[in-house]
Amino acid sequence: MLTGEELDRYGRQIMIPQIGEKGQEKLKQAKVFIGGAGGLGSPLSIYLTAAGVGHIRLVDHDTVDLTNLNRQVAHWTADVGRKKVESAEEKLRKLNPNVTVETLSVTISEDNVSELVAGFDVVVDAMDNLPTRYVLNKAAIDQRVPFVHGAVNGFQGRAMTVIPGKTACLRCFYRGPVPQTKFPVIGVAPAVIASIQATEVIKVLVGIGDLLANRLLTYDGLNLKFTEFKVQRNPECEHCARL
Amino acid sequence: MAVKINLHLTLRQYTNDQETVEVEGKTVGECLKNLVKRYPAMESSIFAKNGKLANIVEIYLNLQSAYPNELARPVKDGDEIHVTMMLSGG
Repeated sequence: MLTGEELDRYGRQIMIPQIGEKGQEKLKQAKVFIGGAGGLGSPLSIYLTAAGVGHIRLVDHDTVDLTNLNRQVAHWTADVGRKKVESAEEKLRKLNPNVTVETLSVTISEDNVSELVAGFDVVVDAMDNLPTRYVLNKAAIDQRVPFVHGAVNGFQGRAMTVIPGKTACLRCFYRGPVPQTKFPVIGVAPAVIASIQATEVIKVLVGIGDLLANRLLTYDGLNLKFTEFKVQRNPECEHCARL
Repeated sequence: MAVKINLHLTLRQYTNDQETVEVEGKTVGECLKNLVKRYPAMESSIFAKNGKLANIVEIYLNLQSAYPNELARPVKDGDEIHVTMMLSGG
């Protein structure tokens, strides 16, 4: 049941016919896992908190560095040296005290991921490396919950939503390991991709719209161009073929 | 008529910022070989040392994933290939 304060706070989005009070109630009851509190995780957690997702678990092992501040908008100058999850939690609680924000400063790994994502309705990929993206992809598939992928580099980005057993997953196109390098990025790129991911999360939770399922959306900010590629499940995918 | 290859941003440094290149070929592999013949500096960005596609490269044919066996996919005049790169940043 939404309170009077919540009806006011979310009034403008409740006005959207596809959301309404019913949809807002679904958001309030929802639990979202966000892996990463950096360039993608910052705007993602801010928008999902503002939208009134009831419970957010934010996981990141890192501390705030001065070089993060061009893009990781949940962290400010005075936060340099703090744990990212602590810094983000403080802002998110102030933004919307109705939301249960739970943070964990741990490294996501094959060993702990099942426990970390258990009981959550959606797993959101806001990582900064491919190996952990695959760890989250597999965990979401194992838990049979949607996985919302996003990644950036420079002015570019991409997003895709995985519905386990129904649509292509991140591992479906795997050819082998990719060398990990320090990537260039300007803050507006993760801002665009995180907004798309947050949109997907809201649609998944409320059960509306057409998801980026079997569709990889790529974004080229430099030429302001979106391109959509059709993708398909790999019947031999080591993560999702058994479903 | 030929096959149009759309190049990922990072590859355009080899084509003087040209986004698309038209090549001839009967398969994706032939088209890419002809592409790197024209722009040899691009080869190591697309192909691994064993001649297979580099792990970071993704190929789409007419906006559809060409995975797996991308290089063997037949193409015809007017087809479009996108050469893109996986992204890992966040």
